[in-house]
Amino acid sequence: MKQWTILFKKEFKESLRNFKWVWIPLVFILLGITQPVTSYYLPEILKNFGGMPEGVIMEFPMPTAPQVLAETLGQFNQIGILVLVLAFMGVVAGERNSGTNIMVLVKPVSYTAYMLSKWAHMTLLAFVSYLSGFLIALYYTYQLIGSVPASDVVSGFVVYTLWLLFVTTIVLLFSTIFKSTAAVAALTLGLSIILSLLSSITPELMQWSPGMLASHSYYLFQTGEANDGLWLSVVSTVLLVVAMLSISVYIFKKKEVATHTS
Amino acid sequence: MGLIKTVGLTKTYNGTNAVDGIDLSIKEGVCTALLGPNGAGKTTTLNMLTGLINATSGTISFDDRYMGDRRKYIGYLPQYPKFYGWMTGEEYIIFSGQLAGLTKKEALSRSDELLSLVGLSEDKKKRVSGYSGGMKQRLGIAQSLIHSPKLLILDEPVSALDPIGRREVLELMKTLKEKTSILFSTHVLHDAEEICEEIFIIKKGKLIIEGDLVELQRKYQKPTIYLNTEEPIEDWSTTIKQKEWLRHMDVKKNKITVTVEDMDMAREALLTDESLRKLKINSFEVAKTTLEDLFMEVTGK
Amino acid sequence: MEEILNELQSVRWDLLAPIAIVSFVLMIVAMVDCFKHGKTNGPQWVWILVIVFVNLIGPILYFIFGRRSE
Ligand SMILES: Nc1ncnc2c1ncn2[C@@H]1O[C@H](COP(=O)(O)OP(=O)(O)O)[C@@H](O)[C@H]1O
Ligand SMILES: [Mg+2]
Repeated sequence: MKQWTILFKKEFKESLRNFKWVWIPLVFILLGITQPVTSYYLPEILKNFGGMPEGVIMEFPMPTAPQVLAETLGQFNQIGILVLVLAFMGVVAGERNSGTNIMVLVKPVSYTAYMLSKWAHMTLLAFVSYLSGFLIALYYTYQLIGSVPASDVVSGFVVYTLWLLFVTTIVLLFSTIFKSTAAVAALTLGLSIILSLLSSITPELMQWSPGMLASHSYYLFQTGEANDGLWLSVVSTVLLVVAMLSISVYIFKKKEVATHTS
Repeated sequence: MGLIKTVGLTKTYNGTNAVDGIDLSIKEGVCTALLGPNGAGKTTTLNMLTGLINATSGTISFDDRYMGDRRKYIGYLPQYPKFYGWMTGEEYIIFSGQLAGLTKKEALSRSDELLSLVGLSEDKKKRVSGYSGGMKQRLGIAQSLIHSPKLLILDEPVSALDPIGRREVLELMKTLKEKTSILFSTHVLHDAEEICEEIFIIKKGKLIIEGDLVELQRKYQKPTIYLNTEEPIEDWSTTIKQKEWLRHMDVKKNKITVTVEDMDMAREALLTDESLRKLKINSFEVAKTTLEDLFMEVTGK
Repeated sequence: MEEILNELQSVRWDLLAPIAIVSFVLMIVAMVDCFKHGKTNGPQWVWILVIVFVNLIGPILYFIFGRRSE
């Protein structure tokens, strides 16, 4: 536990010094502002500058508050996840490639603590960024459009947190397996896109899938009720996260630390 | 019982043995050199000793007085030490100390001690990314000593340095060997001769020659002068320490073994030395061939 | 003309201003890091231009692709 704390603090300090703790939350905050603002002004902009042919009457209904929250999560799901994956693709591979892990792991350090500290730090940064972006989006939505019942907001928020947790754990796993950070990013993004797509194309078959979580959280915003299969995908996501973490640690222990001698 | 002992240590990469059945026994309180040309398998051997890679076959046993994880008792400096450049030198040492189990306070005072030992006190608040090669090497030595290891393993600690840096690090190692056992690798016999008592010469993963350095030197007849005096010679021996023709010396009461760089200069200097003459020379013997010749021969240069 | 002015007045500037503020902060942080850290993939001056002139995503591009880790 003590070593875990030291390693975690090191991760934290590193990300303070390279400003990850500044710019990643700011990206989410920016998304959290711009999405409600665009949702609010878009109908008006289209009305004024749309250049619609004469006689065509188009209605641009103002989106509801739950819709805006869902759209914001949609932004997090694209740009937010892209940014997180690119920022953390080297979480394990980076130190392996540069060799900075050697003088750490030659100390009486637990490999499990080393891996868990990296995972916990990455997940915390992702969560704090998501939380800040979400709170801002909530404020803007309230100011511009209207409110959503607090309990629906919280449950939707928590469900989407699980999806983020799932994604950061994939990053850890792939960053443990692959040397190339580009491969880590491509595979993580590919896998999360495929899971999301399959979940929207064949929801019946994908009930278990973590890819369903985003739509479950939209549904919670809209209705305040759990959609069918919510619990199934929550439980399977938690199990998958635990499994992927264990596999990452296992692979990391099996791989040799010193990969090259010159 | 050796501090660390290997039996049939082997590492196979893609069907070839980078290390091929090596039996090592590193004694406590002794400086040992692992000597061999590039690609001989030195780094691979050391990586197995530190546990950074697993042996394909063979065993490694650490002195059973020291229980548990052997990493607790080993300090290691890799051939190419890679630091977190965003940390300051001091932060890195404290971080290393805490990982090795020291409290923050202990780590802090120990880092002060070590940074001044390696001469980095002035630069300890600077980021490591701005350090020169020699400074990094010294910082690497400091981190390896943080938990007062029983065995200090240094992988080619001077190979990448310029002559000045090389000298600094060799001098530092001489100080360190008073307190801890050292195992270091090098491809330069001269470095080994300068500070070590024991050597292991490996080539293509195999152990070729091993043993006490002075014995080996004697055995392989180096350009050496054996001096025997009536009076004790220890005090006098300090007067030739800085001579450029000196390579290594071993003093025992009134016997001295002087391995030299240049036999003619040495002979000239010693025979005209007034204060040496006062010690009453009993014998003055010169030998010709060298361990270096042998090393060159076995390593094929 | 009148109509446009009215519309402009109805725009919630207090809510739009933070977008400019946040992107400005991002730009400053990226600039400070680019100068202080000093190690970039490719020429540093190109990244300075990217940070300053590529709206919103310039600083992010710098942090992801431009900054070379130590
Ligand atoms: N990870 C590896 N994969 C394949 N071959 C390796 C690996 N590491 C070392 N070798 C080979 O093992 C041999 C010994 O290397 P090394 O231990 O680095 O020698 P030294 O340190 O004595 O220069 C070399 O031929 C090297 O190419
Ligand atoms: Mg080597």
